[in-house]
Amino acid sequence: MSGNGLRKGGVALTVLGLIGLLAVYWLAFFWVSTEIRQGVAQRIFYVHVPAAWTAFLAFGIAALTSAMYLWLRDERLDRAAVSAAEGGMVFGTIMLITGPLWGKIAWGTYWNWEPRLTLTLLLWFIFLGYFMVRSATDNPEKGKRFAAVVAIVGALDIPFIHLSVVWFRSLHPEPVVLKPEGPSLPGDMLILLLASVAVFQILFFGLFLFRYSIENVRGEVESRAREATVA
Amino acid sequence: MRHVRRRRSIGLNGPGVATLPEAASPSKTVSEVVIKATGLVREFGSVVAVAGIDLELGAGEFLTVFGPNGAGKSSLLGLLGGSARPTRGTVSVRGEELDFGVEGWRHRIGVLSHKSFLYSELTAAENLRFFGRLFGLTDLATRVPERLEQVGLTSRAHLMVSQLSHGMRQRLALARALLHDPDVVLLDEPYTGLDPSAAAVLRGVLTELKDGRRTVIMVTHNLGEGLHLASRVAIQVSGRFAWEGEVAELDAANFERFYHCVVEGRT
Amino acid sequence: MAYLGQIRAIVWKDLLLELRTRERLVSMGAFAVLAAVLFNYAIDKTIVRPQDVAAGLIWMTIIFGGLLGVGRTFHLEAQNGAFQGVLMSPTPKDAVFLGKAISNFLLLYLVSLLVVAVFMLFFDLELGSSPTALALALGFGSLGFVSLGTLFAAVSSGTRMGETLLPVLVFPLLVPMVIYGVGATGRLLALRPVTEVAGSIRMLAAFAVMALGAGAFLFRFVLED
Repeated sequence: MSGNGLRKGGVALTVLGLIGLLAVYWLAFFWVSTEIRQGVAQRIFYVHVPAAWTAFLAFGIAALTSAMYLWLRDERLDRAAVSAAEGGMVFGTIMLITGPLWGKIAWGTYWNWEPRLTLTLLLWFIFLGYFMVRSATDNPEKGKRFAAVVAIVGALDIPFIHLSVVWFRSLHPEPVVLKPEGPSLPGDMLILLLASVAVFQILFFGLFLFRYSIENVRGEVESRAREATVA
Repeated sequence: MRHVRRRRSIGLNGPGVATLPEAASPSKTVSEVVIKATGLVREFGSVVAVAGIDLELGAGEFLTVFGPNGAGKSSLLGLLGGSARPTRGTVSVRGEELDFGVEGWRHRIGVLSHKSFLYSELTAAENLRFFGRLFGLTDLATRVPERLEQVGLTSRAHLMVSQLSHGMRQRLALARALLHDPDVVLLDEPYTGLDPSAAAVLRGVLTELKDGRRTVIMVTHNLGEGLHLASRVAIQVSGRFAWEGEVAELDAANFERFYHCVVEGRT
Repeated sequence: MAYLGQIRAIVWKDLLLELRTRERLVSMGAFAVLAAVLFNYAIDKTIVRPQDVAAGLIWMTIIFGGLLGVGRTFHLEAQNGAFQGVLMSPTPKDAVFLGKAISNFLLLYLVSLLVVAVFMLFFDLELGSSPTALALALGFGSLGFVSLGTLFAAVSSGTRMGETLLPVLVFPLLVPMVIYGVGATGRLLALRPVTEVAGSIRMLAAFAVMALGAGAFLFRFVLED
């Protein structure tokens, strides 16, 4: 895998993704029809939801590659994990910023413990733990292993968190409920949503490849440093 | 086949340099090899602690590893004792490779370090009983008092480790290391912090270890003690054995000079 | 069978050490009582009925107190490198974990019962519709908490940040335990029928099983060097 190729590919995809994102924004503001109940504010939906999906997808990738890293000890798996985790954290952050904004505009409150938003918040903290543990060890190999453990336990816990948070919400209903997306979406909204999801995936993989190539370089630097001390 | 290993020619002609010809020793069959390491490498990020070490020892051999600080001696011992995973290379004890998924080979290894591996708030006897249970020993009722007597701690069996002197703690630590009758005994700087009389006691006990059954590997800064007890010597510098061979090849009187030559010649 | 013997040896050793030093027992017990005292002053009884918030306060006290105790799990072990001696023994790493988790669980469960007793005393609470169900809820909750706590105590002990990292790692993961635990406890204290809390208790049990299993399996990756 040529490092240069990966980095260029990453940059290209990221640029493509950003252009796509601009297109999505434009379409979201000017093209798609307005949702009846929630009005114009609902349009953040097209950024908000794909960001959330991507964050969770990223976490899934991070957890899976972490588990494989612990099993096979291939450095590339750890690089994939950290790249995915970083991407996931970025998109999680996007969701945590757009979500409350939408809430404020649409319903007047920044935060109302909506289950998916809450789940993303907790996921964000699990990512935080991942990075904190990774950088808090003197021995970098230990940091990678610890981070992998954090990712795996996080992945095992997420279903429990999801169930419990949803159950809690059902007992303490708030006056406003996020409109669930689904097959009932009218045509143009569905198209835009899918397009937005595609754009976010492209953006994510762009960031992923870019970060992965950086990790490759870092690994290269480390192995050269090792050779230098031994020679 | 056992062979004398010389990493490179030191290029000195003074006293202290052995001038033995290469490999003239009898070969050793595989079944006699107790502990064997091949191509051991240990890396942490950009630091290489152990840069490729091979060794092979049979029963009754006593290898002392000398070397300056930072040479990676403790890392080597960690690899041989299975407390660290090698980045590359393998260690096997009596033919069984050290596989971290299976812990059975740990029965064969005992470790003594400058850390005592003892619980301060447990008594001497309780410490031995605890570790005995971890090793799956069933005869602790007789074994523990026996071992305490061997190291002269019978009268202190019911004292907490925190109440024991440093020398007594060291003796208890040794009893703990040997409790399960390991084939291989690893000693990591055991003379650290011992006054001359305690060191003499340790020397006595270690001499007894050379009973032909056990294989001992000792890492120490104490040139005198290390040389006295050894049957083989290695000098580790920057993660490699800069010199390795039998004690008979060395001129004991000038060993210190030889040691410094090897260490400086390498750097 | 040797496996169980090893676990038993570790549990016994931990309990013996705890009895001798009383390090964690006293600090966790004192914490429980003092926290209840502070909570008494933190609640304005003219606005809120203690009974309504007791369940939540009880669980938060257990969590914070538990964090104190679990965080120190590896401290006594680090002295003299005794734990390394354990790791160099043929005891499988999952057995070491289970031993530690069980001894932590016994300690925390005892403290959790103390917390409930103290809160009942200070806030004039009834034992509720089913002491058994309450004991089960506390038991499963403690087990899940202790499993995650022991695993991540080993992680945080291995970092430069030490125990300060433990809450960051563990709190997000404890959300289900708090939700189901407080849910069940609140209902029981409010004299609701046990059938209403069965689901929550089942979830607490499932959570505990997941945490214990994950901890036992992943512990070896945390410990190796």
